[in-house]
Amino acid sequence: MILTDRVKRLREQSLNAVEKISAERALLITAFYKSDEAREVSAPVRRARAFEYLLRHKAICINEGELIVGERGPEPKATPTYPEISLHSMEDLEILDSRKKVSFRVDEEVKRIYHDEIIPYWKGKSNRDRIMGLMTPEWLRAYKAGIFTEFQEQRAPGHTVLGGKMFRTGFLQLKEEIMESLSRLDYLNDFEAFDKAEELKAMNIACDAIIMYAGRHADELERLAGSEKDSRRKKELSSMAAICRRVPAHAPETVHEMLQHYWFIHLGVITELNPWDSFNPGRLDQHLYPVYKKEKDSGSLTDEELSDLLGCFWVKFNNHPSPPKMGVTASESNTYTDFCLINLGGVKPDGSDAVNEMSYILLDVIREMRILQPSSMVQISRKSPDRFIHKALDIIKTGFGQPSCFNTDAIIQELLRQGKNIVDARNGGASGCVETGAFGTEAYWLTGYFNLTKILEVTLNNGFDKRTGLQIGPETGLVSGFKTFDDLVEAFRIQVRYFAGIKIRGNNVIEKTFARWLPVTFLSLLVEDCIANGKDYNGGGARYNTTYIQGVGLGSITDILTSIRYNLFDRNNYTWDELQKAVDANFEGYDQLRYDLIYNTPKYGNDDDYADQQAVTVFEIYYDAVNGKPCSRGGVHRINMLPTTSHVYFGSVTGATADGRKAFTPLSEGISPSQGVDSNGPTSVIKSASKIDHLRTGGTLLNQKFSPSFFEDEESYSCLTSLIRSYFSLDGHHIQFNVVNAETLREAQKHPELHRDLIVRVAGYSDYFNDLGEDLQNEIILRTEHESV
Amino acid sequence: MKGLIFSVKRYSVHDGPGIRVTFFMKGCPLSCWWCHNLEGISPEQQTVVQTRKVGEKEFHRDEQVGKFYSTGDIIEILERERIFFEQSGGGVTFSGGEPLMQHEFLLEALKACMEHGFNTAVDTSGYSSAESFISIMPFTDVFLFDLKHPDDARHVEYTGVSNIRIIENLRMIIDNGKNVMIRIPVIPGKNDDEATLIEMRDLLMSLKRDNLLKISLLPFHRIGMAKYNKFGLAYRMNHTMPPSTQRMNYLKHFFSETGIKVRLGG
Repeated sequence: MILTDRVKRLREQSLNAVEKISAERALLITAFYKSDEAREVSAPVRRARAFEYLLRHKAICINEGELIVGERGPEPKATPTYPEISLHSMEDLEILDSRKKVSFRVDEEVKRIYHDEIIPYWKGKSNRDRIMGLMTPEWLRAYKAGIFTEFQEQRAPGHTVLGGKMFRTGFLQLKEEIMESLSRLDYLNDFEAFDKAEELKAMNIACDAIIMYAGRHADELERLAGSEKDSRRKKELSSMAAICRRVPAHAPETVHEMLQHYWFIHLGVITELNPWDSFNPGRLDQHLYPVYKKEKDSGSLTDEELSDLLGCFWVKFNNHPSPPKMGVTASESNTYTDFCLINLGGVKPDGSDAVNEMSYILLDVIREMRILQPSSMVQISRKSPDRFIHKALDIIKTGFGQPSCFNTDAIIQELLRQGKNIVDARNGGASGCVETGAFGTEAYWLTGYFNLTKILEVTLNNGFDKRTGLQIGPETGLVSGFKTFDDLVEAFRIQVRYFAGIKIRGNNVIEKTFARWLPVTFLSLLVEDCIANGKDYNGGGARYNTTYIQGVGLGSITDILTSIRYNLFDRNNYTWDELQKAVDANFEGYDQLRYDLIYNTPKYGNDDDYADQQAVTVFEIYYDAVNGKPCSRGGVHRINMLPTTSHVYFGSVTGATADGRKAFTPLSEGISPSQGVDSNGPTSVIKSASKIDHLRTGGTLLNQKFSPSFFEDEESYSCLTSLIRSYFSLDGHHIQFNVVNAETLREAQKHPELHRDLIVRVAGYSDYFNDLGEDLQNEIILRTEHESV
Repeated sequence: MKGLIFSVKRYSVHDGPGIRVTFFMKGCPLSCWWCHNLEGISPEQQTVVQTRKVGEKEFHRDEQVGKFYSTGDIIEILERERIFFEQSGGGVTFSGGEPLMQHEFLLEALKACMEHGFNTAVDTSGYSSAESFISIMPFTDVFLFDLKHPDDARHVEYTGVSNIRIIENLRMIIDNGKNVMIRIPVIPGKNDDEATLIEMRDLLMSLKRDNLLKISLLPFHRIGMAKYNKFGLAYRMNHTMPPSTQRMNYLKHFFSETGIKVRLGG
């Protein structure tokens, strides 16, 4: 596939557009909440009317030459805010405007609007304020200490992906389903019948709203067609108008209609609120393929037209940066990416291989578009052909981190273990970073990262947090009093249970705030069985409801525990007093000791059972503390192991550690080994990482670094394919190949101790980068720059 | 019995088919000018100073080059990688140095590997007795066989040994039906002149090509240079630069005329 001129232009426009804050949504939602419409009605009806109000009044943006229409803000990359969820202060706006990375421009006019209208109305009334007011002192202390983060503090719950049904269903049909559900209500026996009626009424309003919003686009397109001089574009505009009259009211029948239909849905979800992971079309190759095939066979869709449409669709995602954050989460998730992860491949509902022609076409689109958003992944099952993996490796080797590789067979087993039926499990996949979900039927909420390393630090200090100067955990004993390593493990277990309990209690309250005050009646239309249940997505209406807490830093905590076990209990190399003094001094004056901790102590990631058994111990402790605990939507809590960028934040609140890590530097991410300690190569990393039981999680994240030369030809591809298949046969959930670029190599020259894993290849020979002479390192850097083009 | 091994490389993907573990054994009868595996030359354990950094601070530590492994140690390492071998059709490669320098240990290790179902490869300079090759042949699935120079006098000049025995061993292995991959280091100014190349190609053409799986052309590189100081040896390739990509592509084309698959790099 080659990008058409039209797509090239739109892509450029998207890349060049400046991220900025738009006050449009904040103004509209404020005006609505002040109006009579918002008063004296049930929460779902209020929220549905707010949704309708937003869609009726927000500006319609149609970009030059585009084929798929609709923007979240008044123009590309103009990013709305959600004061009912969390309110930016004037100071936040200044920071967003001026910070070097991931900045958002904030015009004087926006600042004025915030100062005069938005802040005065919402101050103290956002859901964030509500949440903070409801949390216990224990929760607040732990939160401040950096034991965990809270996802719903700045964004609404999300992590939901569209299933196949909504690609085959129009909103008029949903209205019929709503009416049917209403007619089934049993006021004699169901004491929730009235609540359900209010919810269903609200859902009906949301249906009308999205159809109206599409109609406004049709009006504008017709107006533009009327004044358009170019006859080809005039025709396009007219046909786009016709499409917007049809979808999303009716089920889409062409590829163009499907993409526009989805896009209206996407905009609906991210306008209603700002759910985590924006929203996601999920198994796009599966959804598009039947319609594509029909059109292709009948000759109604040329390759060029398809290329045009998919390119236009891709650009849409890139026009929508993640809603800007504030406070602590700004560093926790510092990215424009809104984690929309398109799934390709996998298996069909009957269990057969799902890779089809559209899977390959979309891989081409990913390669040619090469933009940050949407993100993409390939689902690899035992049945997936090698060709599919090779095609993915072709893109991975260019070093932009996409697509990542997922194990379909593991995902299905994870979902089955959680009680999903086999068809829902096969229709599932991964969203966000690596999170397992049953697409179209599950509300799986991520609620916050959990800093296992910090909890160990607190355990080592008898429940005391040195950074905040507070006793935040129970007194589980001084290390000097522990006779064996197991005593330490037991103390850690008590602390993990304690903090997990605090987090779960908080989750159960926070979930209720969303059910009670911020139902999402539009999103509820899209996830089965909210309509049939007459219940909101935020109130347990989905078929499956799961609440996740994400463990972070498995590599770091394993190395720290291993170091203590090895140096203190098993080998008596150092006393606790010595270790503690060195850690307290951030290793200033303890170079020899730090050398031993780094180079002479077993580390996770080398297939060394001595170290890896601590990973398993930590995993089991964490699993027991969280898994199966009820969540307030009627489902249960589960764990997964992923960090996004929180390992940086969690590192910044954690002092020096017994693995030789300096204070306040990043922890390891996901289940990857600590930065650079895996010196036995990728097979050993895979063996270490598969010692924990991935199937009892809802996703794990493993990153593996490679230099481009490992991707040089068919033979290399075959070996990488085998490597992936080996990891997956060991039930590994996900692996991502980071192809090392020259920048990383330069970084490794400066900080060799953090890059001991870096292997570079020279024809017929490879070596650790650290072990090479500087001139040779430079030569390889130059060559890598060349290769990664 | 134990063997002296200076490096164990996992995810070794260019030393035979599939994903492999390569054991680099100490001791080599050759002394090639362009050698980059200096650790492999001496058959004895050696001590070198290893420099490691912790932050800005450098630590200098004596480090042993070469560790003794029993056959059991080797099998234990390989068992840990079995899943990768099975997925990729890989296995174990004994390289060096010259692995046949430790012939008895090599034989024992190869037997054990085969018993445990591991695909075996031996990466050799070819410079060893015919008997030693005959003894390991039944336990070796594939040989990686170096051809450094077709002309005997120049072979002696650049490697310190004659190539007569090497070529005889190669013919014998091939005539016995073993699979062989040829490895040719491409050393500018030493073995890449037109006459030498033609001679090399003629030599390959004279072999029974059914069992020649592949020719690997290994471009000269200067990676080993930094090690020469460490081992107290003089570097003799100061004025030689790596061949260009164009040149390598030309050579690939040139050797393709043998009808054997040619690959650049291992």
